[in-house]
Amino acid sequence: MTARLKAAAVSFLNARPLWAGLERSERIELVLAEPSRCAQLLEAGEVDMALVSVGALPGVDCEIVPGIAIGADGPVQTVVLAGEQSPAIWDEVFLDTASRTSHVLTKLVLDDMGVHPKFTLLPAEDGLARAKGTKGALVIGDRGFGVRANHVIDLGREWTRMTGLPMIFALWAARPGRVTPEDVQELTRAAQHGLGIRTELAQAFAREKGGDAEKYRRYLTQRIRYGLGPYELQGLEAFLERAAAKGFLPPMKLRFVDDVVKSHRTRRRVSLDTALQKGAEGERLDADEAELLDEKAPLLELGLAADLRRRALHPEGVVTYIVSRNVNYTNVCTTACHFCAFYRPRGHAEAYVLGREELTQKIDETVALGGIEVLLQGGLHPDLGIEWYEDLFRWMKSRWPQVNLHALSPEEIWHIARTSQLELGATIDRLVAAGLDSIPGGGAEVLDDEVRRRIAPLKCSTDEWLEVMRAAHRKGLKSTATLMFGVGEEPRHRVAHLTRLRELQDETRGFTAFICWPFQSAHTRLEASDTSAHAYLRTNALSRLVLDNVPNLQASWVTMGGGVAQASLHMGSNDFGSVMIEENVVSAAGTTFQMDSEEVERHIRDAGFRAARRNMRYQLVGGAAA
Amino acid sequence: MPLSPLANRALERDGLGPIRDKVLAGERLSDAEAVRLLETADLAAVGALANHVREKRHGDLTFYNRNVHLNPTNVCVANCKFCSFARPDDKHASEGYTMSLDEAVGKVVSKRPLGITEVHIVSGLHPDLPFEYYTELLSRIRKAWPELYIKAFTAIEIHFFAEKFGKSYEQVLRELRAAGMDTMPGGGAEIFHPRVRRKICDEKATADQWIEIHRTAHRLGMKTNSTMLYGHIERLEERVDHMRRLRELQDETGGFQVFIPLAFHPEHNMIGKAFPKPTGYDALRTLAVARLYLDNFDHVKAYWVSLGERLAQTSLAFGVDDVDGTVLEERIYHMAGASTPQALSEKTLHELIRAAGRIPAERDSLYHVLKVHDGRPQAAAESRVSA
Repeated sequence: MTARLKAAAVSFLNARPLWAGLERSERIELVLAEPSRCAQLLEAGEVDMALVSVGALPGVDCEIVPGIAIGADGPVQTVVLAGEQSPAIWDEVFLDTASRTSHVLTKLVLDDMGVHPKFTLLPAEDGLARAKGTKGALVIGDRGFGVRANHVIDLGREWTRMTGLPMIFALWAARPGRVTPEDVQELTRAAQHGLGIRTELAQAFAREKGGDAEKYRRYLTQRIRYGLGPYELQGLEAFLERAAAKGFLPPMKLRFVDDVVKSHRTRRRVSLDTALQKGAEGERLDADEAELLDEKAPLLELGLAADLRRRALHPEGVVTYIVSRNVNYTNVCTTACHFCAFYRPRGHAEAYVLGREELTQKIDETVALGGIEVLLQGGLHPDLGIEWYEDLFRWMKSRWPQVNLHALSPEEIWHIARTSQLELGATIDRLVAAGLDSIPGGGAEVLDDEVRRRIAPLKCSTDEWLEVMRAAHRKGLKSTATLMFGVGEEPRHRVAHLTRLRELQDETRGFTAFICWPFQSAHTRLEASDTSAHAYLRTNALSRLVLDNVPNLQASWVTMGGGVAQASLHMGSNDFGSVMIEENVVSAAGTTFQMDSEEVERHIRDAGFRAARRNMRYQLVGGAAA
Repeated sequence: MPLSPLANRALERDGLGPIRDKVLAGERLSDAEAVRLLETADLAAVGALANHVREKRHGDLTFYNRNVHLNPTNVCVANCKFCSFARPDDKHASEGYTMSLDEAVGKVVSKRPLGITEVHIVSGLHPDLPFEYYTELLSRIRKAWPELYIKAFTAIEIHFFAEKFGKSYEQVLRELRAAGMDTMPGGGAEIFHPRVRRKICDEKATADQWIEIHRTAHRLGMKTNSTMLYGHIERLEERVDHMRRLRELQDETGGFQVFIPLAFHPEHNMIGKAFPKPTGYDALRTLAVARLYLDNFDHVKAYWVSLGERLAQTSLAFGVDDVDGTVLEERIYHMAGASTPQALSEKTLHELIRAAGRIPAERDSLYHVLKVHDGRPQAAAESRVSA
């Protein structure tokens, strides 16, 4: 193994979740330093990467580590202006010496207010003591918590008010060429770990420096945001642009670590007709052909080709569905994905973990409605170890042995392995021994790390997602696979997703079905790209063509409505998913289609097919097709 | 422009080769062939054929307008079993209403800053309002906003006026036209076949009366629209019978601009208890077959208020070239349980059309293109609005 890389970071409370997980890293050695020193160490080449203040970026030749940052979307509490009088009359402001970003932010905010005082550098205590009359002071870092003054202006809040965007204060910057995708993964894992133990970090900080642990916990979980997605990038770019426009910082162009490792495949010339013909015949499409179809093929051409595949795979004219209930055991989650409207941080007023009584009621209802499966999924709750899941599964299996336990997406299985410090294989073995029957394909989103780092920086990587599925399939479990499109990905990303699934399916034959749906953007922080019905039908038909080894395709009537789902039955789908007894995640983002089994069957029949109930393995149950 | 190999292959597999050949040769489909297409459970193949006709007529252009709805009263003496909008009177029940002329005119004129080009006026059959209420309504809107197109009064209302005020259809139409009416909406057609009509709207104008009124309007030089309310008790043959009567009148007059199949909405009315809302599949096949059967109609419209944005967008690949408009203030479908938005912005309509790979084209009430939104600068077409 090569020598460990060196990383410099500040000891501030808000930085701790990003480096706490590095303390035992074998790849990266941690050096703690004052904020202004971090950038100097990086510039001097004494460290390979550093957690640097955004304002220091223009002076340093560096690449940014994608996905992770320290920021706030609104009040931040630890970057404030304080004074005896209103800032409107300030003629001098004392700037805390610690951070350049805050200096620039101070100038931008005061400029926006039409206030143009003189700026003087002074240590924070001195500045605050002298902030009387027409003088104000900038106070940053953990000192900001305790500031008492007549006028306290939270600069995070002011920035968001001015721009409608989040403020990014610091991020990991690396010396050019020094950091590999594996190192980025290590930093991401460290952040995942650190975010999971924010409560403990807050308690440790309170013991070390005094103060209220609960206040620190709220600060870490509710004020500070650690993702660097498209929304945060907009905030970062707005800050650098405004600062450059006012001459507060030199202009700069952001460069990311993965910009250098990104490979640009040159596409072979293929004809649309040939690709369609190949797809229709069930010949394997390569990535070039699939991309061409994704970009250029008209809806009905894709649909007609996919319909031929559906007819070949399912000539009997039957469309299946299952009676299953989606139970979300907790909404507490540490990944804070930009596309999710469902999660709540631990300690939030709306956070929940379902108890046995509620579960009993839900499962009894399901069985009474003819349900044969429970789809059990939840957030990544930092307190739930494998024993909690084992107890739950054993209890469910003893009370309802006939109900298929379709549970835990790959992300959750990784989370359980991490929190319980187990190997992946051992984790799956224990869950299966406790009653796990099959695994849902959720959390796949787009299986391409370029996209994942942007939309779900703290989620598992493509390889990790596939690794769980591979391990589970090898142990004889079946699973489904999903794709959530419309998150700003490009055709090549969707095609990469489909071909990665196809490769694993060649290896294991463990996927029973595939389902795609568009990103639902209401109440989330991510802007959707094309999520229209037209895009859905095209993506679904393309999936039928590319996934030549996955037997079943589910129509997503939950997100698209019954009519569009019916149309998809004539363009590739052969299954109508599940009757909806309960669903929380998609409906939290605005979709509300509902159907009982009668309505599901009416839609199937009306579209010209016979309806039949199935189980998770797509075996027909309960007699002949109606 | 040939059909694609995949479309040909599917149509031949389904035994639709002869129908395809007629369509490609520009020959007219028989009623039996239309029923056959409706019964063929191959949406992609039938859709591909309808799309071929649509693209031959309009290319990628997809029409919409900027319109506002005005329903001056929901008080109605008819007792149609599919209606959720009508109320028996406005005297006691809280839900019956009749707008004063000031109120009605004010509602329309207040939309002037929004760039609206058309008002669509449809009402209940009010037992007490005088004829002058209607002429006055038209003339006051016309005076206040001369360039606005007024599309007003279904054939059912025209028939009601004729009976109630002792005038001929022609007299009624001439007087309303003189007061400011430009075109007529296609509502009230429901299903023409007497078996169905007797059961769902016995008290309404008959099919022959509906046809006669549109014939008269066409003869007077007016353009009108046509509709079909499907998805309740009618048989597929009765849908085709309905379209045949429209096609025949169109051969005679050429006065229809567009055909609009309307999905029956089941909530809060008397049929709905027995019949669920027709599925989206039914909407798509009906639109596609209408495009193929109605060979003398320029346009087939998907009314997004009824279908929802997703199905309306999908229908653009199944023969449809018009998605109605921004539709401010729609009430009739929403009282029947439509969960679609109350109005769509022009931007949303553009996005919906563009995401389907089509080109948005704003039209006026007479289907003059006002602006093709293809990103290229252009001169506005001749029309009252741009004048």
